[in-house]
Amino acid sequence: MTQRFSCTTCASADKTLECFVADLPLETSFHRVESQEIKCGFGLQGVCCRLCANGPCRITPDSPKGVCGANADTIVGRNFLRSVAAGSGCYIHVIENTARNLKNTAIAKGELKGKKALERLCGMLDISGTDEWDKAEKIADAVLADLYKPLFEEMSLTKNMSYEPRYKRWQELGILPGGAKSEIVAGVVKSSTNLNSDPVDMLLHCMRLGISTGIFGLTLTNLLNDALMGEPEIRMASVGLRVIDPEYINIMVTGHQHSMIAYLQECLTDEAIVKKAQEAGAKGIKLVGCTCVGQDLQVRGAHCTGFYDGHAGNNFTSEAILATGAIDVVLTEFNCTLPGIEPICDALQIKQICIDTIAKKANAQTVDYSFDEREKATAFILDEVIATYKSRRSQVPLNMLPEHGNDNTLTGLSEASLKGFLGDTWQPLIDLIVSGQIKGLAAVVGCSNLTGEGHDVLTVKLTQELIKKDILVLTAGCSSGGIENCGLMSPEAAELAGPQLKAVCQALGIPPVLNFGPCLAIGRLEIIAMEVAQALNIDIPQLPLVLSAPQWLEEQALADGAFGLALGLPVHLGLPPFVTGSPIAVQVLCKDMLELTGGQILINGDAAESANLLEDIIIQKRKGLGLS
Amino acid sequence: MKHIIIGVGAAGISAARAIRKHRRDDEILMISTDDAVYSRCMLHKYIGGGRSVGEMSFVPDNFFEDNNISWRNRTTVTEIDTANKRVVFEGGSENYDRLLIATGAKSVFPPIDGLKGATGIYGLRDLPDAKAIREKAGGASNIVVIGAGLVGLDAAYGLVEMGKKPVVVDMATHVLSANLDEPAAAVYQAKFEEAGCEFRFGCKVSSVKQNAAGEVSAIILDGKEELACDLLVVAVGVRPENGLLPSNSIDEYLSVGTDVYVAGDATGFSQSWPSAIEQGEVAALNMCGIITPYDEILALKNTVNFFGIASLSVGQLVPAPGDTCDVRESKGRYQKIISRDGVPVGVILQGDISRSGFWQHLVKNKINIADIPKPIWKMSFADSYGLDENGEYEWMT
Amino acid sequence: MKRILIDSSKCAGCKNCSIACMQARRPDGSVYDIDLTSPQHESRNTILINAQKQCKPLFCRHCSNPACVKSCMSGAMVKSPETGHVGYDPEKCAECFMCVMNCPFGVLKPDRATGTYVVKCDFCADHNSEPQCVKNCPTGAIRVEEVEQ
Repeated sequence: MTQRFSCTTCASADKTLECFVADLPLETSFHRVESQEIKCGFGLQGVCCRLCANGPCRITPDSPKGVCGANADTIVGRNFLRSVAAGSGCYIHVIENTARNLKNTAIAKGELKGKKALERLCGMLDISGTDEWDKAEKIADAVLADLYKPLFEEMSLTKNMSYEPRYKRWQELGILPGGAKSEIVAGVVKSSTNLNSDPVDMLLHCMRLGISTGIFGLTLTNLLNDALMGEPEIRMASVGLRVIDPEYINIMVTGHQHSMIAYLQECLTDEAIVKKAQEAGAKGIKLVGCTCVGQDLQVRGAHCTGFYDGHAGNNFTSEAILATGAIDVVLTEFNCTLPGIEPICDALQIKQICIDTIAKKANAQTVDYSFDEREKATAFILDEVIATYKSRRSQVPLNMLPEHGNDNTLTGLSEASLKGFLGDTWQPLIDLIVSGQIKGLAAVVGCSNLTGEGHDVLTVKLTQELIKKDILVLTAGCSSGGIENCGLMSPEAAELAGPQLKAVCQALGIPPVLNFGPCLAIGRLEIIAMEVAQALNIDIPQLPLVLSAPQWLEEQALADGAFGLALGLPVHLGLPPFVTGSPIAVQVLCKDMLELTGGQILINGDAAESANLLEDIIIQKRKGLGLS
Repeated sequence: MKHIIIGVGAAGISAARAIRKHRRDDEILMISTDDAVYSRCMLHKYIGGGRSVGEMSFVPDNFFEDNNISWRNRTTVTEIDTANKRVVFEGGSENYDRLLIATGAKSVFPPIDGLKGATGIYGLRDLPDAKAIREKAGGASNIVVIGAGLVGLDAAYGLVEMGKKPVVVDMATHVLSANLDEPAAAVYQAKFEEAGCEFRFGCKVSSVKQNAAGEVSAIILDGKEELACDLLVVAVGVRPENGLLPSNSIDEYLSVGTDVYVAGDATGFSQSWPSAIEQGEVAALNMCGIITPYDEILALKNTVNFFGIASLSVGQLVPAPGDTCDVRESKGRYQKIISRDGVPVGVILQGDISRSGFWQHLVKNKINIADIPKPIWKMSFADSYGLDENGEYEWMT
Repeated sequence: MKRILIDSSKCAGCKNCSIACMQARRPDGSVYDIDLTSPQHESRNTILINAQKQCKPLFCRHCSNPACVKSCMSGAMVKSPETGHVGYDPEKCAECFMCVMNCPFGVLKPDRATGTYVVKCDFCADHNSEPQCVKNCPTGAIRVEEVEQ
């Protein structure tokens, strides 16, 4: 029996997906938006405090302070710091695992696919070694040593990885982070009951967390992954639900830790495994990309041939991907894995396997996937995968959507591959900016959410508005997943750009929106900003570069945003980050930060208005550089 | 059916409204000495210059036209001929089927030596009083108000607003002795003093002096002290304007004889604005043949609002032996609840009277709250919260 | 007439009705930028708690026999024969606060910032008479229905 939910589903910028979800006989996040439409105003303003048993306390004209005496500024400061600390924790967990995987691979003298990346890292971190494994191990050790430093000891790689003028400014402001994990602990402790009450101190702590998150959690995770898993190479790829081939056994991957599946992904093309899959009635086993790890596989698509057909969709597309019926197993190593997939997996007999205990999902089987256990664990997982396929495929009807997505999305971009494309120099890009053919750069990053106008709606509209203004858009995160499925990363999208940018794109055969893949790649954009600034001998805040996380969703995005602010960039958000109840927080984040780091938060939920705001800033920065 | 209502105050207007609501086609004639409908409770605002006559109206602009009511103003009824169902006034008469006497009350001028016959002496009861006080006060330099009750303070407040510094004389020991207890009254007294008022408590005006022109020139306190005075406001109380009543026995339907009714201050009942409104409505219903007994509503209640400080008092102001008295004070705030056997019998709130209307209901209905397991300060409608089938609140006690 | 009906058993005490009410009186802005500490943005409604700690929403009933109207000596508080709603004109109000004292349920209050007018529900006249409190109640504890006047 087909049961349809009568409520209205939320809109998506991706109309094919929107219609598909609306007709599903399953409940998805899109269905739940309506029932959660009414938001708690205190929560929205960040003035609900649950830090002690006297609470929850909320701020009203009749109760301007909590029982403890905390006012709106203190409550918002604590809540915000907690969120940023948690978000930082997520990314620091990712870099910690990545460094450990690199180290273990090096010790085991395993394959390091990105030789150039390894050498570049050695250069950046002043590391030398007897061979590539020795170098890799030393790199990993240096990263891990920094992560575990105490609060009062500065992480030594921060200086290596930072642009000098930025490092100096951070030093002046006293926001150079100690050990990344200690900074997280300090953030959690500061914001605990009746501890820190100084909103400004807590906001500055967010800057420390932003720097450690950005340099370690983002930038270094990419570089370490590149060394281990291979460097991105520019190429065309298929994206969307069309990439799912029902004739294969399909594993949907979710998370942020590509190195976790380094061993497993290679086994998929192993002859014995393929044979087993064929015996079960399939052509083989493939990974279907979802969330950021799918983006990581996509940018490294050149190294993933034979087992990876492409990225199907972002965080809030995961339910639709499962609803096709052609996914047999969800393999989770981290977020963003929605709890909402669990009943769908149950209904469609999809097995859920977690390989990182941190991301244990209800109804999922946790597999001890330590480096030492990887062979045994992989064998077990693949047996489970094949068995699940065998048991479920005859039971579950397929509901494919081959018209979704496209086959010509430009992918494989990284700071290195883009520079390589430009002839190993940023000069062509600088020339285009100077001449005004490219007015400026906008990094449209971060998540997707379903509030505001709907799934990817603001992200896609804003991107369209920006390219119309001859602003080249660079993406990282779930925004990439939404924008690619809407076709803006195909060379044909040049038609949608303003005349100048359109001409540039057509001349180079590139789309007006460049896809750098996962949210981790915000770190790649930072390297580009740093290197371009270096080439121009200016500081990052002077660049005609803006950052936007139009549909930020989670705490990680707030830590990313803190990094953006520390870099001195304008950071646009579609929705306020639960701080507007505090006049001080608003003042510091939106105004005073300009004096401190040069950065600033801008909040606007309207695409056209936001694009105008960002364009104005780019024009101002151009003027600052003497450009018309 | 023809209704005549004498008086356009709270009771008269309320009655006219109610008659019109229930009897669309009945004839209604209102007769009044007043040539405007205005709220007596706002006269001090007129004196102070805060409001014009039009701004003191408590009915919409076209009240009479819209409700099809005839109004004969500036007309004083001199006689009621109950035998012929006729009211007589200078220059004419009108017949009625039902008559309501809502003539209000008039200021009491105590028998003080020299007071009678002197000019420059006013009560504060109606608009002509207020107009006279405002006009006279402009050139007056020594103003005395007798009575520190609500009306006396209203007069003083209006005068202070004009920039005057009146002396207020009262036999009581503090201001608003009929409305507030001493601590709450002291707050207002201090504010009045700050504004330039002088108070003389425990004093009696023993005589009034006139000058050759017959104008008031001084008052003598307790036969000893002489205070210069060129404007004297007398606010020691009111007397019902009941000269027209055919009988002084008012039945439970507010009737004082065949087809004659009375409402408002003219009843002589202890009064407040809401009780006048209620009486007007009850009398009107009975005039329309909708038999409705009058349930005397709690009259011992009032609000005071001077200098932006609001107070509310309900019921008893002073605890009797055996009563429980809960008092709470904080900056700018005073609360006092007097309870008798678990029933609140008196409430004074000052400084913050927000959402406090339920107290009046508790006192009036003698509701026992002893069994509600929470501090008296947290009392609210919540513990007796009920809703009827129409969605209106009802007390569940 | 239309009345906001209340099912107090569904009230979770989130006070969203109060924030919605505060926002409803503002000419612009959104719920994100109301100054929650400013007494200028007072809510007409509130939630009471009884001794059993149950939430009891306190919303003006626009009573069929409104004590506030009866006690008003300035003509500021008027029950509309058309809509049945009790309107309030702060310009007419003489600040006597007799209505505050006489509302048997304690719904009314003088405004906190100036003490010069009464904080009174107008059934969101500026929002097409669609009460914003009802619109923003996440639990369905309040709803608008046509009732007998």
